[in-house]
Amino acid sequence: MSEEKDETLARRAAGGCRASFALLLERHYDRVYRLAWRWTGSQTAGQDIAQDVAAKLARAIRTYRADAAFSTWLHRIAYTTTVDFLRSNQRTVAVDPSEIVRLIDSASSVPHDTGAAHDDLWNAVRSLPDQQRDAVLLVYCEDLSHAEASAVMGCSEKTVSWHVHEAKKRLKIILEAVD
Amino acid sequence: MTKRDLENLKRLAVPPALAEAKRAAIAAALVAFDAVSDANVQFKNSTQGSAGSDRPMRTTSQTRSFFMGLASHQNMAVAASLAVLVIAAPIALKTYQDERTRSPDWPAPKPTAVAAVPAQLGKQPSEEKKQERLTPAAKLDSKPFPDNADFQEKTEAQPSVQSLDGRGDKLGSASSAANLALDGLLAKPAAVPPPPPPSHLAAPSPAPAGLPNGIAGFDAGKAARDELSNLPARQLKFGQSNLGMPNSLASVEPPEASKARPSDEERDVFNAPDVNPVKQAATEPVSTFSIDVDTASYSFMRRALNSGHLPPKEAVRVEELINYFPYSYPAPESADPPFKPTVTVMPSPWKPTDKLVHIAIKGYDLKRAERPRANLVFLMDVSGSMGPEDRLPLVKNALRLLVDQLQPDDTVGIVTYASGSGIALEPTKISDKQKIFAAIDKLEAGGSTNGAGGIADAYRLAEAGFDKSAVNRIILATDGDFNVGITDRDQLTSYIERKRNSGVFLSVLGVGQGNHNDAVMQSLAQNGNGTAAYVDTLNEARKVLVDEASSSLFTIAKDVKAQIEWNPARVAEYRLVGYETRALKREDFNNDQVDAGDIGSGHAVTAIYEVTPVGAPRLVDDLRYAKATAETAAASPSPAAATSSGGRSDTAELGYLKLRYKKPNETTSQLISLPITDELSKPTITDVPQDVRFSVAVAAFGDIVRGAPYVNGYTYDDVIALAQSARGDDPYGYRAEFINLVRLAKSARP
Repeated sequence: MSEEKDETLARRAAGGCRASFALLLERHYDRVYRLAWRWTGSQTAGQDIAQDVAAKLARAIRTYRADAAFSTWLHRIAYTTTVDFLRSNQRTVAVDPSEIVRLIDSASSVPHDTGAAHDDLWNAVRSLPDQQRDAVLLVYCEDLSHAEASAVMGCSEKTVSWHVHEAKKRLKIILEAVD
Repeated sequence: MTKRDLENLKRLAVPPALAEAKRAAIAAALVAFDAVSDANVQFKNSTQGSAGSDRPMRTTSQTRSFFMGLASHQNMAVAASLAVLVIAAPIALKTYQDERTRSPDWPAPKPTAVAAVPAQLGKQPSEEKKQERLTPAAKLDSKPFPDNADFQEKTEAQPSVQSLDGRGDKLGSASSAANLALDGLLAKPAAVPPPPPPSHLAAPSPAPAGLPNGIAGFDAGKAARDELSNLPARQLKFGQSNLGMPNSLASVEPPEASKARPSDEERDVFNAPDVNPVKQAATEPVSTFSIDVDTASYSFMRRALNSGHLPPKEAVRVEELINYFPYSYPAPESADPPFKPTVTVMPSPWKPTDKLVHIAIKGYDLKRAERPRANLVFLMDVSGSMGPEDRLPLVKNALRLLVDQLQPDDTVGIVTYASGSGIALEPTKISDKQKIFAAIDKLEAGGSTNGAGGIADAYRLAEAGFDKSAVNRIILATDGDFNVGITDRDQLTSYIERKRNSGVFLSVLGVGQGNHNDAVMQSLAQNGNGTAAYVDTLNEARKVLVDEASSSLFTIAKDVKAQIEWNPARVAEYRLVGYETRALKREDFNNDQVDAGDIGSGHAVTAIYEVTPVGAPRLVDDLRYAKATAETAAASPSPAAATSSGGRSDTAELGYLKLRYKKPNETTSQLISLPITDELSKPTITDVPQDVRFSVAVAAFGDIVRGAPYVNGYTYDDVIALAQSARGDDPYGYRAEFINLVRLAKSARP
C-alpha cells in the first residue's frame, strides 16, 4: 500500500479520497518543510509554510491531473508559497528562544551561539537577490536541473543559468569578505 | 570554492520540524480537504443547508456513497454550511488560477472539477443498499467526536471514523475497488465522493480544556463551554485563510493529555537542579534564597499525571507545588510592611525526631479600590501550533474571564504574532467590553497577520497607555515559540534594554505540552520582572488570570529574599525543601543589586525547612577531628553567628529569620526579622493550622515524586491522609484535585 505511486494517490485524492490525501501529506510534509527551511532558515517559519502548503494542497489536489509528476507539481506549490511568505515577511526575522532570554535577562546573559557551522554559507545564500537565491536553492538543494528550475520559477532555462552564474560570483565575494 | 560550497549545501542538516507541527499541518489540510468536499456536495444539495446552520444533514450524509466502499461520513466538524460552500468553491478556483498564472505548465483549470457535484448523490439510490455498504466500515473505528456534547450528538448517528493508523488495511482493501472506480471517474471527476470524517490521527480528546471538578459553580464555565462549542462552525467561515488553522482542528489534533507519551515530554526542556542537600548548622548555619511565587511546575505535573505518567523528576519544583495553593495565612493589617511572616514549628510527619520549620509569608491584599489602574497588553502567539483547544482557544477563554474581572478604567490591548504580527486590538478601556470581546473572538491560530514586530508593537502599545501610577504589563501567551517577529536583532536588543527599566513588566502564560519550553519560560519569567504560569485547563486559567489576577498583576514587594541563620546550639542539621533554582549566596542577601522574586497583592509564599535538633539521630556524622561541634558552637558561637547576630549564644531560639524586600517603586531594600522561638512550636502536626498542614502534605508529595532521599517510608497514602485532614473550605476544589492527583501518582508509570 505504502508503495503506491504518488501519482496514483494524487489522482485518487483528486477524486476525493481522503486516506490517499492523508498519505500523500504524510509522505511529503518533510520535504516541503525542508524546502521552506532552506529558504527561510527558521524552523517556525518552515513549519508555518509547510502547513500553509498542506492546506493549499487540499484544494489544489482536486485539480491534479496525471500530466505532471506529483512531486514536481507539489514542489511548485511549496516554492510559490515560500516565496510569497518571504515577500510578505521581509521585515521579520525569527529569533531563537535563547536569544530572547538573553535579551530580556542581560544580567546573566550567555552569549548566543547558533551552533550551526554553516551559518555563513546559509546567510550568504539567503542574502542573494531573490531570483538568484531561488535559482541556487532550487538547483543545489532541491536537485532540480536548470530546465526544471526554470519551469518552477516561470522563466527560461537560460535565465536560470544566468542567475546561478551571477549568484556564484556574488557568493564568492560575500564569503571572502566573511573570511 | 563557491562551487564546492554550493554542492555541499544540500547535504547540510536541516533542523527537523516538530512532530507536532507536522500533525497539525496534516490535520489542517484534512479539514480543508473536507471543506472542499462538503462544499462540492452541498452545491448541488443546497436546499439541504442554509448559511449559519450547524445542523448535521443526516439524510444527506447517509445517502452519500463513498465510491469505493470506504467509510462514508459527514464531517461534523466542518458542519458544512452554505457559507462554506460559497466561499470555498470560488477560493479553490482562485488559488488554483493564481498558481496557474505563475506556472504555465500547471494543469489547466477545470472549474467543473471543483464545483461539479455528483448529481446522483443524495437523491435517488436506495438508501438501504448504501447503508449496507457502510456498515462494515462503521465498525472500524467509531470514535465519538471529542470536545463537546454538541458534536457528540451529531456524531452518534454517523458511520465510521477513519483512522490514519488503520489506513493500511482500509486503503488497501479499498484500492482495488478504487482503481476500478477510477477508470470511470478520472476523466470526469464529477463524482466527488462525500467527505470522510475528520482525521482522528490519534485518540479523541477529553472535554475542552479538561474542565476539572472544581468548575462547578463557576458561572463563566458554561458560557465558555458554549463559546467552545460554537468555535468550529464559526471558525470555518474564516477558514479559507489557509494559514489559518481553524479551531475545529482541536477536535482533530488530540490534546497532549490524552496521548502524552514520554517521547512527547522529552521535548520539554527543564533546568534540572539537584535536590537541596542536608547541611550542618555548625559548619554552614546560614541559608539564603529568593522568594518564588511561580506555579508552573504544578500544572505541568498535573498534566503528566492526568495522562498516566509521573512527571520527569527535574520538572518537579517542590516550592512551586506548595505555592500553587491559596493559603489564608495571617495577613498584614496595612500595606506597610507589605507582607507578614508567620513561622510554625512542628514534628516532621515522615521523621518524628526531626522538626519542620514552616515559614508562611502573606502579602497585603490590596482592596479593589486601592488597586492601581491596569494597562495590559497581551502579546499572543497565534502560530499554527497554537491551534489545539488547550492552547489559543484556552487563552482566548481565559482572556474573556480576565476582562470580566478588570475595572472599567483598565485598558487591554492585543498584539498577535505568528509569521508576521499585527495589532488585534488597540488599548481599549474595559468599559468598551464588546469591542474587546469582538477582538478576542477574531483571534485565530495561524491567521496570517502582517505588520511590525510583535514584541515591539506590544511595548509600543504599553508605552502609549503608560501610566506611572498604573500597572503596565505585557503578558506573553505562547506554547514556546518565540518568533516574536522583529525587524532587526540589534534593534530588539536595545529596545528591550531600554524598556526593562521603564516600568513595563512582563508575564509569561505558557500553554500546551510537547513543545512547551519550560526552561525558557521559567527563565523568562524569573529574569524579567514577571511571573510565569503554565495553564492547561480553563479552571487553571481562571485561577491564574482571575483569582490571582491581583497577585500576578499588582506587585506589592519586589526582590524579596529570605535568610535564615540556624542556631547550632539547637539545630544540628537542616535542609530547605525545594527552592533549588532560587538559592542565593549568603552575601547576596544584603546586596540590593541582586534580583529576587516578587510578591503580589494577596500572594502567599511558603518555605519549609526540615531540621534535626541537636541530640536527635542525624544523617551527617560529626567530623572526628572537629570535636563535638554543637558544644563548641554553644560555648563559643561560630564566626558567622557572631557577625550577623552579635554573637548570641541563646538557646531559646532555633534560628533567626530575616526577610529583605523593596517596595515596587523603590531601589533600596527594607528588612523584616523574626526569631524562631520555642513558642512557635506545636507538639503534633494535628495542632497546626490546616493551611500549614496541607502545605506540608504537598511538600512531602513533591519530595516523593522527585525521589528525594529524605522522605523514606512516607507513602502516597500518608500524603493523602494528611491532605484529607487539611482540606478546609477549598471553594474551587484545588485541594480535592491535589488528593486526586496523589491517587493518580500511585498508579502512574514513570
